[in-house]
Amino acid sequence: MNMIDVQNVSFAYSEEKLTLNDVSFSIKKGEWIAILGHNGSGKSTLAKTLVGLLEPQSGEIHINSTRLTEETAFDLRKKVGIVFQNPDNQFVGVTVRDDIAFGMENLCVPREEMLSRIDFYAKKVGVEEYLDKQPSNLSGGQKQRVAIAGILAMRSDILIFDEATSMLDPYTRNDLIHYIKTLNKEGFTVIMITHDVNEAILADKIMIMKHGEIVAFDQTETILKDKSVFLENHLELPVALEIANLVEDEEIRRILWEYVSET
Amino acid sequence: MGIRFRNVSHEYSSYTKKTYKAIQDINLSIEGTNEFIALVGHTGSGKSTLAKHMNALMFPTDGSVEIFGSEVTKKRNKKIKYNDLRRQVGLVFQFPEYQLFEETVEKDIMFGPLNFKVDSEKAKTLAREALSLVGLDDSYLNRNPFNLSGGEKKRVSIAGILAIDPKVLVLDEPTSGLDPYGRQVLMNLFSDIHKKTNKSIIIITHDMDLVYRYFKRVIVLKDGELTFDGTPDKLFQSDIIEQNHLDLPNTVKALKQLNEKLNLNLDVYQKTPEAAAKEVRRVMKHE
Repeated sequence: MNMIDVQNVSFAYSEEKLTLNDVSFSIKKGEWIAILGHNGSGKSTLAKTLVGLLEPQSGEIHINSTRLTEETAFDLRKKVGIVFQNPDNQFVGVTVRDDIAFGMENLCVPREEMLSRIDFYAKKVGVEEYLDKQPSNLSGGQKQRVAIAGILAMRSDILIFDEATSMLDPYTRNDLIHYIKTLNKEGFTVIMITHDVNEAILADKIMIMKHGEIVAFDQTETILKDKSVFLENHLELPVALEIANLVEDEEIRRILWEYVSET
Repeated sequence: MGIRFRNVSHEYSSYTKKTYKAIQDINLSIEGTNEFIALVGHTGSGKSTLAKHMNALMFPTDGSVEIFGSEVTKKRNKKIKYNDLRRQVGLVFQFPEYQLFEETVEKDIMFGPLNFKVDSEKAKTLAREALSLVGLDDSYLNRNPFNLSGGEKKRVSIAGILAIDPKVLVLDEPTSGLDPYGRQVLMNLFSDIHKKTNKSIIIITHDMDLVYRYFKRVIVLKDGELTFDGTPDKLFQSDIIEQNHLDLPNTVKALKQLNEKLNLNLDVYQKTPEAAAKEVRRVMKHE
């Protein structure tokens, strides 16, 4: 079953340029999609149309078989959680605890349940020590984790991360990615917008965008084998694969490939 | 002259009355020219707080920071023109693009110089120069900054700081949110500015590949304390990496993996994929 169906969607901020140009694709329930692309390629705009924050000038978006319109957007947003690149853009609470609660309050989650979810997700992202702090006193990476906890606590079927881990140190990021992996296995649909190829290769499928169009959308392994699509789009291959491409020895290449797909 | 931290601590307090030390007893010396320093550490280790002490945007709650001869302590000193210190040490925040506010790119970049009493013709020239330094052409001057992409906005905002021509440039995760190409362009740009002008540049980053390839000196913070100050080579060959929960560069990790799986004796400390591949070829020839 398709969780997300996007048909011929175009969007423009100004008359001069289409930021999304006739984009069509679908995502199945439980899939993990990574979206890669140059700055300005339309990735974030696409994410915003999926949650109804931007209304495309043409085309249709269906979430779980319901067409996304002004009327349905309010209900459909319960199905789609989005974490933005800059966590400062989504803080509303006075304390971290209030902030994580905000999304759940809107979903009318019962109080007891809400409190236990706050503790659970705060621990999951490692911010349990900061629950009584003001979000503005946290570091960039801590803020990102709070924003992520708030979205996870809503338990939306679809989770969209718009470069939401860009400020995390490698260890914190790995922990978080592994947790998202677990959620994905439980059936959550994950869309991850990222510049980090090492993060993207964990996905089932990779989508590459350029000038508002989808230039490639395929199984991760297939995409990685075609070096040219990466080079043409100014994308980086994982370092281990770059090394693999520069040596002839078959066994070395095989081990480096395995290493990349394991991590 | 430059920036000297002497036993600097900064304690945050919040309305819940709990306090915590974001940085603790920092001793650090940064020269006024010719430094290219990476500042690394876990999220919440105090990197941004430390950076904000470098131009008196924050005042220590304990200890002192000497900035180009002026002693900054907890107590405000009327003789010190703090604004001048901020002109000498330019600070670029995380997500500087959210600070853009003018109608055109040109006006936005001119804002800094004008604020420091540079006349408007000169400010225009500075804006043009700064814009070209960040790799954008003159056609951007009359564009509305809000219609630019994230990466372009970031460059414009960095140009805004370059236009005030600070002696020392401190950047808080300037490459986060950029695609790899943009990241490389920006790193090459900082490296060029450093080489051309001898300006000291301090960059907060989590990207160990960048640290290994570009920087002369690395400072590591852990839980607000300074735990390492030295060359990248020394850092990556020591066990400080693990103790501080930091990552190794990807080249090193990949080569370590090969050593382990194939029982090879590769010198894993290679900075680029090309160098790594060369090392693999060298060792395989002798096998």
